[in-house]
Order: sequence, then C-alpha cells, then structure tokens
Amino acid sequence: MRAPFRLQFEQRTETPRRLGVLVPLISVLAALFAGALFLLATGHSVGDTYSNMLSDGFFSSTGITDTLGLSTVLICTGIAAAFAFQMNLYNIGGEGQLYVGMIGATWFGLFFGENLPSFIMIPLVLIGGALCGAAWIAIPAWVRARLGTSEIVTTLLLTYVAASLVNHFIYRSGSYFRAPNSMFPQGRQVPDSAMLSPIGDTKMYPTFFVIVLLSLALHWVVRRTEFGYRIQVISDSPRAARYAGISARRTTVQVMLISGGLAGLGGATLIVGSFQRLDPGIVTLGYGYAGIVIAALARNNMAAVVVSGILFAGLRSGGDKLQISTDTPIHIGVMLQGAILLFALGGEAFRRYKIRIVRTPAVVSEATA
Amino acid sequence: MTSSTYEGAQGPHHASGAAPVALEAIGVVKRFPGVLANDDVNFDIRVGEVHTLLGENGAGKSTLASMLCGLYQPDAGRILRNGAPIQLSSPRAGLQHGIAMVHQHFRLVDRFTVAENVVLGSRGLSFKLNRAELNDAVAAVADTYGLPVDPTATVGDLSVGQRQRVEIVKALYQGAEILLLDEPTAVLVPAEVEKLFENVHAMTKTGKSVVFISHKLGEVARISDRVTVLRNGRVTGHVSSKGQADAKELARLMVGRDIDLAAQRASHPIGHEVLQIREVSLVANGVNVLSNISFNVHEGEMVGIAGVAGNGQRELADVIAGLLSPTSGTISIGGAMSTDRGPIASRELGLAYVPEDRLGVGLVPSMSILDNLLLTRDRNVVVDRASVRPEANRLIDEFEIKANGPEHLARKLSGGNAQKVLLARELSGGRTATKLLVVCSPTRGLDVGAIETVRRLLDDARSAGQAILLISEDLDEIMSLADRVLVIYRGAIVHETPGATASLEQVGAAMAGLSQAGGA
Repeated sequence: MRAPFRLQFEQRTETPRRLGVLVPLISVLAALFAGALFLLATGHSVGDTYSNMLSDGFFSSTGITDTLGLSTVLICTGIAAAFAFQMNLYNIGGEGQLYVGMIGATWFGLFFGENLPSFIMIPLVLIGGALCGAAWIAIPAWVRARLGTSEIVTTLLLTYVAASLVNHFIYRSGSYFRAPNSMFPQGRQVPDSAMLSPIGDTKMYPTFFVIVLLSLALHWVVRRTEFGYRIQVISDSPRAARYAGISARRTTVQVMLISGGLAGLGGATLIVGSFQRLDPGIVTLGYGYAGIVIAALARNNMAAVVVSGILFAGLRSGGDKLQISTDTPIHIGVMLQGAILLFALGGEAFRRYKIRIVRTPAVVSEATA
Repeated sequence: MTSSTYEGAQGPHHASGAAPVALEAIGVVKRFPGVLANDDVNFDIRVGEVHTLLGENGAGKSTLASMLCGLYQPDAGRILRNGAPIQLSSPRAGLQHGIAMVHQHFRLVDRFTVAENVVLGSRGLSFKLNRAELNDAVAAVADTYGLPVDPTATVGDLSVGQRQRVEIVKALYQGAEILLLDEPTAVLVPAEVEKLFENVHAMTKTGKSVVFISHKLGEVARISDRVTVLRNGRVTGHVSSKGQADAKELARLMVGRDIDLAAQRASHPIGHEVLQIREVSLVANGVNVLSNISFNVHEGEMVGIAGVAGNGQRELADVIAGLLSPTSGTISIGGAMSTDRGPIASRELGLAYVPEDRLGVGLVPSMSILDNLLLTRDRNVVVDRASVRPEANRLIDEFEIKANGPEHLARKLSGGNAQKVLLARELSGGRTATKLLVVCSPTRGLDVGAIETVRRLLDDARSAGQAILLISEDLDEIMSLADRVLVIYRGAIVHETPGATASLEQVGAAMAGLSQAGGA
C-alpha cells in the first residue's frame, strides 16, 4: 500500500529568474518528445520529420521569412490575449475580433481605396480593422465592467457570430465584399493602394516590424505608465484599487477594448498583407485561438510574445510544409502546439513549487526513539 | 503573591509535589519549509491546571498545540500522556487520549442545532438521531461545567461567545481531559472574557487541564497557573505565576527586551475641528448599517471608536474616507464638505486612511514598497519612480522598516513592517499634508514590539497636530491612547467618555449593547 517514494511539493518563496526562461524552453522540448512518441507509434521517422520541420520552419531562408510573415498575425493575437491577461481578463474571443477586424479592414480598403494614396490607406485600413475588433469586444467589455458577466463566455460565443458574419458577407449574392464577376463565392480584392508589397522575394510584410515595435511599446506601457500601474493594482487587489480611488470599471473597459483592437489589427495585417480580400478560409486557421497559447507560453509578458509568436509560427509553417513534402499528417504541427501549451501550463508548477522525491520512512507505526 | 521563578530555557520537569503531569512534550521539533517552527520545545501540563503558552505571532504556540492535539506530527521529540509515550497521528487519535483543541476559527455548522454540532463526528450514533436524548446528554455535560447553552438553538443564531462555549462543550462531550484553547479571547468582548474565565476555572476544579494560548499579557497574568513563553520557536522561559505573573517580565521574555505600553494622551490643548460628522446614516441592502452618527475630531486629538466587529465601524471608516456615500448626513474635512466626492477628493482635503486590511486594501501585495507609496499619490502619465526613490529610502530609515530597499515586495514584509509602510505613506502626506488620519485596528495581529512602535507613531502624529480617529476592537489600545472614547453598537454611537477617566466595565457593557452603563 505504501510506495517507497513520494513527491513532496514545497512552495517556493522566491522563484529563481532562470526558471522564467528554462520552464518554457523545457516545455517546448517536452512537447517535441511527446510528439516523437506519436510519430514512432504511427511509424514515421522522428529524425526526418523534425529536421524537415525545423529546416522548413526556421533554418532555411524561405523557411524563416515565411515564419516571420506568419508570425505577424500570431504576435498580434498573442499580445491581444496577453494584454487582457495583465488584468486577469480572459479574452478568449480574439479569433472573432480578428474576423471582424478583417471585415472592417476590407471595408475601409474597398470604400476609400480608389481615391486615397497608399501612405494614407495603409494606416487607415490597419486602424479601421483595429477599431472594428475593439467594437466587437465592446459589449463583453461593458457587461463585464457593469454586471460582472464572464468575459470568457461572451467573447467566445461572439466568435461564432463573427464567423457567421464572415460567411454572410461572402456567400450572400451581391454582397459588397464579394467579388462581383465570379460565380465562385470569393472576396473582392482591395485596391492596390490598400495593399503592401512583400519584402523582396519573401512572404514577409513590413507590418511585421510595426507589430514587433507595438509589442515592445505595450510592454513599456504595462511596466512604466500610470495606466499599467492601475492595471497592476486592479489585477492584484481590486479592494486596494477601490481604496485608492482607481476605477476598476473604466480600466476594465479600456483594457478589453485595447485587447479586442489588437486582435482586430491582426486581421487587418492579413488584408494589407497576404490575403488582400475577405476570405472565408480564415475561420479554419485559428490564428486568434493560437494567440492564447502564444500568450501563455510567453507568460503574458508582452515583449516575450514576440519570441513565442515566432516560435509558434515556425512550428506551424514547418508543420504545414511537412504535409506537402512528405506524407506526415498536418496534425503533427497542431498536436505540438497543443502539447506545448499543456506542458507550459504544467511547468508553472515547477516555478511555484520545489518538487522533491523523498523516501517514505520505512517504519512509521513504532514510537520514534 | 508574585512568585515568578525564571527557570531558563531548559526547565521542564516540575515534579515538585504538585498534581501529576497529564501531558508532556519533550524536545519536540517541527519544521516547515524555510521555518523552524518548534525547536527542541519542552512543555508539560498537570492535572487541573491552566498552563499558558505565551508568545508573539509566529513564535510557534499554535504549532506546539497542533502537535499536542494530533493535527501535526513532530519531526523529532516525544509526547507523553500520563508518562507513557503516545503517537498522535490525527486529531481523532488525540481525542482518544482525551486531548481536544478549540480552534480560533470555529468549526461549527451554522444550520445545525447546538446538540447536533456537539455530537457531530462522534462514533456510535444511531442512524436516526434521537434528538431528545441527545439534547439531554449535551445539556448534562454543559451543566456539569457551568456552561449555559441551549441544545436546541441553531448555531447560526448564536453570538461569538456562545459559539465558543458550544465548541468547548463539544470537546468535553467527546471526553476531553485536556483542552487546548487557541487564542480564545481574540473574538470576545470583555464580559464574555469574564464568563470564559469562570468556565475555565469550573473545568480545572473538576480535574480538567487547560492549555491557554495567547499573546495578551494582561489576561495571561490573571488566568494562568503557569506560563511558558516561546520566542522564535524556542522556549525562553517558564513562569509559575499562581494567578499573578508580572506582565513586564512576561513581555520581556516574549520580545527579548523591555517594552513600554503605558497610556499616552494628548499632552497639549486640542485645536480646531478637523473632522465634522453630522447625522450620518447608511442603509445597505435594507439594513441600517449606520444610524444618525454625529461627532467631531479636533487638531491634536485622538478619538477612539470602540465596538465589537460588525457594528458598523468598517463602514463608518469607509464613509469618512469617501469610499461609501452615506444615505443621509454630511461629512466635512478641514471645514470643506467631502460627502459624496470620492476618495481622491477626500485625500485632497487632507485625509489619510489606514484600513483594517493591510495587504490587499492598504497595500498591493505584489508591488514594491516604492510602488505602494505611489498608491494614494498623484502619478504622472509615465510613472516617475526615480524621483520617489529618495523619499522611499528616507521613509524606510525614518520608520525603521526592515526591508532590502524600496524594491522590496509588500507581500514579503512582516505584518509589523507592512503596517509601518502603510503608516509611513499615510502620515507623510501625499496630495496634501495630512490633517486627518483614520486608522482601523492598527496593531491587530502585530507583535508586541511592533505594537509599541505603531502606538508611538500615532502618538507622534497627534503631537504634531493631526486629528486622529482610531477605530479598533482592541479595547486596551483605545483605553490607553484615545483622548475621547466613543462606543459604536449596531451602527449608533451609544456611549461617550473621556479616555483618561473611562471605565473598562462601562465601555465593555456599552460594546455589548447594555447601554445602561454599569450592567454586565
């Protein structure tokens, strides 16, 4: 009945700094290990699969630029989730805000694009997408601040509404967003002035650098500004915020609007970048949901989201290419993402507890000497 | 009568002809992660005596008691019952040896009757309870020890003192010979403390032993036959007091140095009115939380509000601080109306507020001392921490805060140091110079040494001309500091008396709702 060893959890009073890096790193390695077991079980070569995946994701010139291109939108949804997490708000609906951001960005592009020059159009489309993303989270933000309704449920459910909205705008005949002269339902391309050209011969767009700068800027906002200070007070102790005259309601609404806006901005980067039109295919890609995983892996550090976003994009783009070059199922990439999240969250235990294996005393019933 | 004999840190075996030793701990050691909670502790309790465990918070009193009742198991050392070694693997094993603990936080089911609570957990009950029989049995146990309880009453309807009695009856019903009472007076008003002491005497007369755990010197000196003092997990002294231990000596053993907790009053004439409260009432969820309260606090004056917790003190403080709007009535600070204007406006009029909960309300636990200083001050759009750092360093020195510097996190501070940070911030003024200080239970849970410091700081602030409203459940504190004592009961001020001539009986009676002073 009694095992010779047992695990002892000892709460840490101080978390060593190195664990902040080590834990996510080991999580990734552990996830790769779990993936290897899966590959072995299904009769694939672990070495070939992983080396293909890594070279397609990171270590070839087209691989890395494809990855950075894809990471743009993922970093966006990552900081959207991470920013809300700063105040313990769970914006699970970044996916939906991304769709609405795409719809908004497309509308701004189509409506103004013919008459305005590119240097006005690009910011306009990006900001328009962000505003629409923010608008999509406005109701969850308001009911959360006012009535305490769980934002997890409201933002998630609105994602399904947003997906239907995308389909509606494409499949309804005569829709403003639908390409007019095509029998096949597809989106209308935005005018040239609302499109960026990729950098050189890559799939990377200049928006990547904008988003990286934005992440760093938001990192600074959280750490150094009065707004960030308020967020920290409210997230840690709402009663202290009340005591200090800090309005939790107002800050809740502000934080959620920004979070929704960032996810919407992610949608807009797709329009000015590789998509160029409202594409109903977006609802199968899950960029918004991936943002939650990316934020968790970065432990909600706005700057670290850049790193975890690129890592994630690499796994994903490498995984996608596997499908084309070999017969490895595409789901290996998806599975690895899930495994990384699982291990990253499980790894939190190592940050909070010192885990030791102790030998159970052989004799317990006798009186101690 | 004072026969205090200091026996040094290693003086366990009292075989001096007195009653036999009922329970003994020899050299027990208990470690928790990062803490040596009990280090080679010797303790014994004789049949029919009250033996007090005295010590500051974290001295290891509760840990020792928990090992004696079977809640924790010692890492080393032995526990003897009537001279024979025993192994207590659980509180139930403790009960089988006749040892029971009454915890500070009661473990009763509110919706059950007294009798149901008492028999809860007992073995050998029939599937269908025979209530009449149980009620009689419970009443019989209660009567034996002069513990008046109504077995049919619902526990949820009882006062705190009555609930504690139920816990004691429960322990006795389960056959306890040795009762461990963990800080039993912390939740009681003075009249209830008297009643408890009578009950304790009734129990010891019939041969029960009581281990009394406390850090309140006054009552320890009164009730104990012997006192064992713990400090940092070690025994620092045994005192045989026979009802009259020297409080000063006990304090010295407890803290390790001399302590001065003498009464302090305003030493100079008081000035203008700073706080004026006029007919303030507050109705929340249909309940009258505050009814028609009016009083003033003047420059250089400390007014104490005494009362049992839950009589509206917390709300009164919140109303003054602008955190709650009164249903009717007005509040002015420094001659300017502050009603309904919110906490920031009140602070701009010179209010400072030390709330009852230090961590989580007054301080943000995950933030540094520096950031916590900014909590009630003006912050620019970009928080300029560099310019506040010199002041933070100065306050850490001035208030003798034990910290590694301004970046030390609030949650890593001890209770006393957290309170000092809070007082440092509030007394040093933020938006404007502090004119009015509202402090709630400023020394609750603090060590004697920290209590001394906090009281001195409050007295200094009073001498500097600040008006102070001291809201506390600690009657001793109010009696020894306040220039004027008001008693709050069910949201109304029911008694007012000058601090210097206040009588403990009268104030205590008013706190218990017996507005005719003198009754008890």
